[in-house]
Amino acid sequence: MTRVLGYRLFQALLVALTVGVLTFIMIRALPGDMAYRIAAGRYGYDMVNTDAANAVRTELGLDQGGTTALGQWFSDLVRFDLGVSVVSGEAVIDEVRHQLGHTVELALAAVLLSLLIGPPLGILAGLRPGGVIDRGLLLVSSTLRALPHFVVGLLLIIVLATGMGVLPAAGHGEPQNLILPALTLALGLAAVSSRVARDAMAGVAGSPYYAFGRTKGLSDAQVLRRHGLRNVSVPIVTYLGVQFIYLIEGVVVVETLFAWPGIGHALVHAIFARDVPVIQGTALVMGLMFVLLNALVDLACYLIDPRRQAA
Amino acid sequence: MTALLVADGVRVFARERIVEPASLSLHPGRPFTILGETGSGKSLLAQAIMGTLPKGLRAEGSVTIAGQRLSLAVGQGHRSLWGRVISVLPQEPWLALDPTMRAREQVAEGYGFVRGLSVADAARRAQVDLANLGLADASGKLPSQLSGGMAQRVAFAAARAGGARIVIADEPTKGLDVARRDDVIALLLREVAEGGGLLTITHDLALARRMGGDLAVMLDGVIIEQGPAEEVLGDPQHAYTRRLIEADPAHWPDGQPRKAAGAPMLVAEGVGKSRGGQRLFSGLNLAVHPGEIIGVTGPSGCGKSTFGDILLRLLPPDEGNVRRAGGQPAIKFQKLYQDPPSAFPHRITLRRAILDLVKLHGLDAARIEPLMARLRLAPALLDRLPAEVSGGELQRFALLRVLLLDPVFLFADEPTSRLDLITQQEMIELLVELARERTCAVLIVSHDAELIRKVSDREIRFTGKKDLDQVEPKAA
Amino acid sequence: MMTATMSSAITASEPKRLPVGRIVGFTVLALVVLFAFLTPLVWPVDPTKQSLRNVLAAPSWSEPLGYDHLGRSMLARLAAALRLSLGLAFLSVLTAAVPGALLGILAAWKGGIVDRALSVLGDVFLALPGLLLVLMLTAIAPDSPWALYVGISLVLWIEYFRLTRATTRTLITSPAVQASRLLGFGPAYIIRRHLWPEIAPMILTVAAFGAATAIMAIAALGFVSVGVRPPTPELGLMMTELLPYYEEAPHALLQPIIAVFLLVLSLNLIAGRKAQ
Repeated sequence: MTRVLGYRLFQALLVALTVGVLTFIMIRALPGDMAYRIAAGRYGYDMVNTDAANAVRTELGLDQGGTTALGQWFSDLVRFDLGVSVVSGEAVIDEVRHQLGHTVELALAAVLLSLLIGPPLGILAGLRPGGVIDRGLLLVSSTLRALPHFVVGLLLIIVLATGMGVLPAAGHGEPQNLILPALTLALGLAAVSSRVARDAMAGVAGSPYYAFGRTKGLSDAQVLRRHGLRNVSVPIVTYLGVQFIYLIEGVVVVETLFAWPGIGHALVHAIFARDVPVIQGTALVMGLMFVLLNALVDLACYLIDPRRQAA
Repeated sequence: MTALLVADGVRVFARERIVEPASLSLHPGRPFTILGETGSGKSLLAQAIMGTLPKGLRAEGSVTIAGQRLSLAVGQGHRSLWGRVISVLPQEPWLALDPTMRAREQVAEGYGFVRGLSVADAARRAQVDLANLGLADASGKLPSQLSGGMAQRVAFAAARAGGARIVIADEPTKGLDVARRDDVIALLLREVAEGGGLLTITHDLALARRMGGDLAVMLDGVIIEQGPAEEVLGDPQHAYTRRLIEADPAHWPDGQPRKAAGAPMLVAEGVGKSRGGQRLFSGLNLAVHPGEIIGVTGPSGCGKSTFGDILLRLLPPDEGNVRRAGGQPAIKFQKLYQDPPSAFPHRITLRRAILDLVKLHGLDAARIEPLMARLRLAPALLDRLPAEVSGGELQRFALLRVLLLDPVFLFADEPTSRLDLITQQEMIELLVELARERTCAVLIVSHDAELIRKVSDREIRFTGKKDLDQVEPKAA
Repeated sequence: MMTATMSSAITASEPKRLPVGRIVGFTVLALVVLFAFLTPLVWPVDPTKQSLRNVLAAPSWSEPLGYDHLGRSMLARLAAALRLSLGLAFLSVLTAAVPGALLGILAAWKGGIVDRALSVLGDVFLALPGLLLVLMLTAIAPDSPWALYVGISLVLWIEYFRLTRATTRTLITSPAVQASRLLGFGPAYIIRRHLWPEIAPMILTVAAFGAATAIMAIAALGFVSVGVRPPTPELGLMMTELLPYYEEAPHALLQPIIAVFLLVLSLNLIAGRKAQ
């Protein structure tokens, strides 16, 4: 277990390194008048002059030599000094902290919802491979997997918000604002986790130990509880780790679609505005969130699967 | 004496009938064994009796278990007997135990859920059962931490915990070496001696002999012979049974050991090897002379195969050295593998594999056909993938493949341990015959001491105590 | 002589049947590809040409898919957008597959330091979720399809690498390869007869999934308006542009949605059910 968590720590370092290097290149690649453009974004076009542009240049370290700038960059990064947004002038760390709360709220709701939808349906399907539930679920999950997150979101908006008017399409603050974006993400996640659960359940139900459980004299419900659920949950939880990639990617798009004031939304806006410190801050936090979620999955697997405790 | 279990006209159907009507009765205190090769239908018969036939198969006939008559065509009523009256000791117990549940819990289930004891009582009873089987220390272990023999005993305890007096044991000795096999037989017989019922399914003639009681021999879905074991085995009526008994290495004619002649072409001096920090052997000397057949026996895990691989230079020795004398090129030293399907590229036909070899070494393709005839391999088999021919055929293809290179030394690593008795005899006869003919030396490893005694010129016995006995030819 | 007859017998051996899903997948993909590349030949309309009197006009005989909110031909735009997605996806998959698979074989074969170095390199690109990496690259080179291409390729190669590495590692120590080496065969033979036949079907699966991933990523970035720059037709961007006009012209919004759906569905079908 220490080894696994050690790897996650190593991965966190890689995230910081990758984000750091990419943002550094980003700054160096900014065209010459970028300082002006940013200054214009901040102060308005009328107010831009050479001084303002130079101030921006200094702020971003554009006037330093490459190596010095890189060193400075990393020392800031290590101290978690993410700088100041060139658009709003606020400290990036404060903005990100605020947005992270919204994103965690959305992501948590989505994961919980997907776990309520996906695995139970998958287990039902896997108990009778080839049955009605199995075939129906295959159809639905294949369809959902062929639709990007934002298309699912779009369709939900069209049907539930615009068409029937039961839910608000965008906004934030009311509990019902959470439903559509969370459902959008959850459907995408459940489309995959239901298949994983289905295959795992079919595999377990066809296994010699499952058959042995029955001939030992256990009832169907007892065999499922004693020998089915734990063995099925190991691959489902392990696969959650892979799904978090989709979750993080989905957050970026879905937050933008539903105008949800989270990190993904902020990242897209920052890229739009070339707000490099915010790009760095949001990408870093999302990358670290991904690593943290994976570490939690490792921990969950460890708790569920006695084989990992014994190893 | 009332029977514990009576099967009456049991038959199994897929699209057509695959098990012909079979009847048998199982009495308390008297083992019943069904003997047959792979594909003979013996497992299907047992599954039909137990009510565990896989999907797509159906049964007819009836079984009476503990006085309750069940019609197999209806296919109901078995469930309530499982665990309480009748239970299964599954094949490959390692796979039959839940990989995520500790041993004691898997046994305690029977007491808790089937007999309705409290959690604490169930755990206590399970612990006692495991202790009786010499597994007191293993109760907190997971299946992956158990040896094959231990897993077998845990599965036995788990199968019995619900109180079933009738046990169906499906290939209980599969994959176990000789010492473990004796343990399992003792365990099963102890159960029978206490008045339980035991139906054993096996391909292992020695196991059938040791169980005694009643014996049925199956061939192609038909019980061809049935009766008290000593009668069936002592005076077999059916030609197949006779053939099967003859194929037992114990009944093979004695070979004619030959004295080594000529200068040794492969010499190992002071060879030693460790694995995982454990010394397998050391100071091993061996000189292989042209054309001689050297048998190697010993318990599993003692390093028999490792020694052979060192002779072939597939593994480096930790100490000592291996010399090839006489300037023979590397391809003259070849190997036959234990599991034939894993020794061929999976996705190309046998024809392609063999033609590749012919092309690589510029061999004469005209030699293939007569050699195949010698090995009793039909030409049509060439167009199949390795997984599409039987194990015996594939092992003969492996022999064909190496013989094309005119080897001077062949390391045969348990070449017949996955084959049925009759196939094994054919294979070994061909191997010895062709090796003698071509003066190819053979180092043959087997767990079957009888087989080694019959075919080899001299023997090496790994004792498992880090040294070994070299046995010279039996009186020549 | 005999060799020749034997070889011809081999080629005549019965072909493997493709699963139904795969056949459907290939068929749908072929139709989409034909639509994307044949349309400009039989319907040479500029996808960026606006005509204000046709704004949001419904499909008709003269304009089979109607017009968008700027009066541009939907047929021309849809075909152009599909060409962009298909072209980028194909290029990225190819760029990722060849070095990915080769490096995987190399890592497993050489082991030791080469293996560890390459695996760490893989970890570097795995550390960030793929779309984040692509997003940051598009920030470095804004409004350029090249950023998309490089980013997607960098994300995709790892899957080929990990798969070929794992497969090669198991195969290389198998008795089958040991036997071939004893029989005198060299590395080229082992790759051709042992590794490639096992790896090739997996590569097809991974490639189909990779192409689906690429197409979804391109559309997602277009949708949040950080991918290609308007007026270039792109499926995700088209959806963003047409969303406000959903009430007046639902057919316009549905077209790019159906296009993405068919593309990704066909690729998923080609990949097969087994892999995720």
